[in-house]
Amino acid sequence: MIDVIPILFSALFTLATAWSLGMLLLRGLALSFYVWEQRLCAFVVGSACLSEIMFALSATHLVHRGVLLVLGLAIIGYAAYSGAFRSQGKAFAPLAPLWRWTFMAVFAAFTWYSFFNALAPEHSSDGMAYHLSEVLIYRQAHGFPLITNDVYANLSQGIELLFLFAFDFGRHSAATLVHYSFLIALAFLVLCYGRRIGRPAVGVAGAIVTYTCPVLLRDATVAYIDVALAAVLFALFYLLQIWDESRDSKLLIPIGVLAGFGYAVKYTAFLAVPYAVGFVAWKVWRAHKPLLRPVITVALLAAVMILPWMAKNRIEVANPLSPLANHIFPNPYVHISFEEEWRSYLSTYGIPSGWQIPLELTVKGGQLGGFLGPLFLLTPLALLALRFREGRQLLFAGLLFVCTYFSNIGTRFLIPMVPFVSLALALAVANLPWLLFVMLAANMVLCWPDMYLTYCTPGAWRVEGIPVEAALRIQPEDEYLSQDPDYKIVRMMGRVVPPGNVIFAIGQGGRSYLPRELLTGYQSAANEVKQDILWTGVVAGYQPVRTLRFDFPPRAFRKLRVVLKGREPKDQWSMAELRVYDGLRELPRDPAWRLTAHPNPWDVQLAFDNSPVTRWRSWQPASPGMYVEVDFPSPQRATSVVVESSYDKVNGEIALEGMGTDGQWTTVSDHPAASLHPIRTNLRRAATAELKARGIGYVWIRPGDPDADDFFRYPAAWGLVLAGQEGGGRLYRIQ
Amino acid sequence: MSRAEHPFPWLAITLHWHNMFLTRIACVLSLLCLAACDRLPESYPPPEQRKPVAGLDPVADSRAMLVSMDSSAADLLIVKDIYGGSGIPWRWTKQEPTVRVPLLSTENLKFSTDFALWDDGFKVTGPLEISFLVNGKLLDKVRYDTPGDKHFEKPVPADWLAGNNEATVALSIDKLYTAPKDGAKFGVILTRLGLKP
Repeated sequence: MIDVIPILFSALFTLATAWSLGMLLLRGLALSFYVWEQRLCAFVVGSACLSEIMFALSATHLVHRGVLLVLGLAIIGYAAYSGAFRSQGKAFAPLAPLWRWTFMAVFAAFTWYSFFNALAPEHSSDGMAYHLSEVLIYRQAHGFPLITNDVYANLSQGIELLFLFAFDFGRHSAATLVHYSFLIALAFLVLCYGRRIGRPAVGVAGAIVTYTCPVLLRDATVAYIDVALAAVLFALFYLLQIWDESRDSKLLIPIGVLAGFGYAVKYTAFLAVPYAVGFVAWKVWRAHKPLLRPVITVALLAAVMILPWMAKNRIEVANPLSPLANHIFPNPYVHISFEEEWRSYLSTYGIPSGWQIPLELTVKGGQLGGFLGPLFLLTPLALLALRFREGRQLLFAGLLFVCTYFSNIGTRFLIPMVPFVSLALALAVANLPWLLFVMLAANMVLCWPDMYLTYCTPGAWRVEGIPVEAALRIQPEDEYLSQDPDYKIVRMMGRVVPPGNVIFAIGQGGRSYLPRELLTGYQSAANEVKQDILWTGVVAGYQPVRTLRFDFPPRAFRKLRVVLKGREPKDQWSMAELRVYDGLRELPRDPAWRLTAHPNPWDVQLAFDNSPVTRWRSWQPASPGMYVEVDFPSPQRATSVVVESSYDKVNGEIALEGMGTDGQWTTVSDHPAASLHPIRTNLRRAATAELKARGIGYVWIRPGDPDADDFFRYPAAWGLVLAGQEGGGRLYRIQ
Repeated sequence: MSRAEHPFPWLAITLHWHNMFLTRIACVLSLLCLAACDRLPESYPPPEQRKPVAGLDPVADSRAMLVSMDSSAADLLIVKDIYGGSGIPWRWTKQEPTVRVPLLSTENLKFSTDFALWDDGFKVTGPLEISFLVNGKLLDKVRYDTPGDKHFEKPVPADWLAGNNEATVALSIDKLYTAPKDGAKFGVILTRLGLKP
């Protein structure tokens, strides 16, 4: 049980540091708040400031335990010394006993459930796979190392940097507790909002519905970031409402900070910036006041929170918005095809009919990763709140913040909307307190975790049980975590794979417990190339079985290029080898040649390396005008060009263009002679050898991976030696 | 509120200048962004040339394409009609013992198998005719008139294998021995079956 102490210390230390920063700022700005709303807003705003400080420390590789300790103590100490914690401002009128006791009872009951889940050893899927695995990497590197082979490292990570602060002292569970604290802050902020607008019952109801929402409860008790985002966005909304009342221009500072911090937490919250800027501009314009100064203040402060993330991505992966917008910022690190496939999947989750979505979101939760609870089936009722000014504000903000929902229809992506809809629903029936109470009572019963299975899909993402012994470390952490197959796999990998070796896997794994580098097939352009190489070893459709030969009278060329004439929206153009001949002799590939391609020039060498398992690919739909080009250092005589490629139809729709000594491009031939050459050698071993040449020492194959059976049956043919197995999967060492 | 009255005078001064401060931050960040705007190279020299895929290694590759019944991996390679077993170098078969093997090449490969005809069973079945099949195609058919250890080996035409990553290799036995006690059927005692260079 003593093991819990550092976890609780580090979580509380992080929260205290963030809160102190926020109190220093809000008190420093001498803003007028109610006591509790000041404390809560201070925590959220302070978190944004601490995250920004952590960014600076990470960028300068100063993330050391001593630095964090001194920093935290200095901030807390200064806040205490300067009296920032002394309560100022008004207190809310007391809650009516019925609502007070209702809130306290529900809050206590659900906190009992959720706190121990948050404190238990962290083993969430995405938490282990990337939220905390990136944190582990940053901790080991004392800051941001250059990561170009993991798209998740390119996402903004405002909350992960708070995790980093906590992780250095209390590891995984401390990070989870930091996230959980945002749920508590959010619930109390919702409560405060109801009290501020003079409808305490609405505040209580909204807070309870938010706090008990099954997907929030689950999300907040693991090392995810969605509930923190919801808290940030609601705090932003709250501050804007206060500003609208007071028009205190100093409020625009925390407003700008939170608007930008939304983006720093998650890209989908970029709309917080136009919302805040638009809100301020609209209100100022309607009041016939000068517009520029308040708008610029909010926009600039938001930019201060956003631009570091953009600059980091621009510097590291040549795309400020990575892993998105690769069409606008083409780069060697994320393929356009990956982005398109990712979007395509996330916009449907494989659900055949859109009519299933409402039930999946609210009740079932099996396919979309969690459920909001049956009460949210009544969401249309919230429109009745439009009759109140507050209702209109709530619904507008809630709707705006989920505008991006259809780009990812997972239930988690609706979490930012939950506090707004909860309040709007409560507001809609606020004039009928008995109905509000009945609705609330029904929600409390239905959202009690033991009731979930009466309506949700058995595999739905939800909290299950209260792991008190595991949370208090009475049950050893390793024993508890070993119930998770992903954890057992990475533990096995950690035992088997010597330090310094790199593991390649098709699917993602629990990297936050793996002290080795694990590259996942789809998570970067370089990894996708490795995956392509591996599959070329066995997938006939990838192998270079077709030869396309352009023969022409002897000519001298300065440049030659093979140009695609066809279009195939569902296929990519690929080329395994491009060879130039003078008579029967293949021209040796001179180091002075310059090779390029459009698109994806960064992989062009794969078409000139003499390997049958590597190929240049467009990594975006094939379209006319794409080319692969050779630039000779001096005019080069040639009589034929041979292209080796897989048997995809589009690969045959090519022409040869040449630049003669006159500097003019002309079409040399657009009718290559095609012939088929079945592969007569084993490419499996060539594929693993190619991976080994790229620094991969081990390959992890799971039963569901494509062609997994071929690896399991013929490891010797792949040049692989079984190094370990777990959960049906096998870890092979490349010989 | 004057600066002197402010609870945090340093912040009051900062606030006074916050617009200028923000402008400076924006300028610095813009410069940083511009400084980062170096272009990635878009043309490259030819890379190190890979050697052609190596030919077959008679020892290593025969191990990969020849299924030994004592191998721990044999169960994954057996398609049908071979009884389970472990720790012994042979297994009983049924009518058409079939294994799946990877193709490390499609050329210059030989069908290879080692098996035995059980004395006591042979007394019941009499001479056996065994067909040797690759990818379902009949490679040869041999009549065995005596019991004991047997070895069969014969080149496989390359075009039977071309374009495939794996092949099925099988024996087809014309008569089976039926155990009088339980009626179980037995073909041959198989030690190895597959392809070899």
